[in-house]
Amino acid sequence: MRKLLSFVAAAVVGVFTSGIALAAAEAAAPAAGDYSRAALAIATGFAIAIGAFGAALGQGRMAAAAMESIGRNPNAADRIQLPMILGLAFIEALALYAFVIAFLLQGKI
Amino acid sequence: MEHPFTWYSLLPYPLSRIAEPNFTALIIALVVIGLALAFRSALQRAKDPVIPDRGITLRNMMEMLVEIVLGLSDSIIGKNGRKYVPLFGTLFIFILIANLSGLIPGVTPPTSSFFVNLGMGLVVFVAYHYFGVRANGAHYIKQFMGPMLMLAPLLFVIELFSHIFRPVSLSIRLFGNMFGDHLVLETFSNLTKLVIPVAFYILGTLVSVIQAAVFTILTVIYVAMAISHEH
Repeated sequence: MRKLLSFVAAAVVGVFTSGIALAAAEAAAPAAGDYSRAALAIATGFAIAIGAFGAALGQGRMAAAAMESIGRNPNAADRIQLPMILGLAFIEALALYAFVIAFLLQGKI
Repeated sequence: MEHPFTWYSLLPYPLSRIAEPNFTALIIALVVIGLALAFRSALQRAKDPVIPDRGITLRNMMEMLVEIVLGLSDSIIGKNGRKYVPLFGTLFIFILIANLSGLIPGVTPPTSSFFVNLGMGLVVFVAYHYFGVRANGAHYIKQFMGPMLMLAPLLFVIELFSHIFRPVSLSIRLFGNMFGDHLVLETFSNLTKLVIPVAFYILGTLVSVIQAAVFTILTVIYVAMAISHEH
């Protein structure tokens, strides 16, 4: 009985490890080109994510300051709006550079 | 990712040799010229050009657009900037109509192509240097030299690069906004067919108007910097 149990356990372990080994072999088998594709996919996501993150922080600070000054002095709203939109456009351009790069990378996957 | 359907793909052979952005830009340019001619004839037909028409007419809309651009130029350059208003107005109306044409299903706006925008950026680049030279003469070169003669070689290189990248950043900004906006609309139209894309149409309208305004405002500022006598 003990012999049978140990045999079954050994068989189970053997099957599992062989599965892992097989999976490892399968993962190792593809050519290096697939790794670069994976790296491209990760880079695409992170490019636009980091770009959008920084631009969002910058635009948030800018809009907060503009809102605060409009709240303090509502008569100056017209004068504040134009530079605010300009500044937002400048910050947004940085996010758009990230977007363009992300799109270039995405085309290479 | 190919576009699902465009009206451009229905064109017969000789016309389809023209690339899509060029073709749509051509159509938009013809529309702008037609609007200008119609506006001119409406002004000539009016009994008293000072009194506006009743209701919403083409003339009232065009006068509103002209008023916006004129106010922009007056608030940044001042009264002596009025002779440059034709450039700003043409850019504003062309980019506005081109951006808004992207909201028609099956039309890719010409401003979502980088090279159409680069063309407009280069026009702005050449124009403001020309205006600067015409307003300041040979003293225009002093704007590149900075405050001290010692620093001039260093500052000249910095200013040169900042000027070279102005048209590039102008065109990439417009291209990225319009292209990204179109892409978002397309992706969400593929995901959800019915009500949800309407929100992105609203966003698209907003982005179209704001980007047309931003391009024009930056052009006005570049011209204002070029023709100023401060340095």
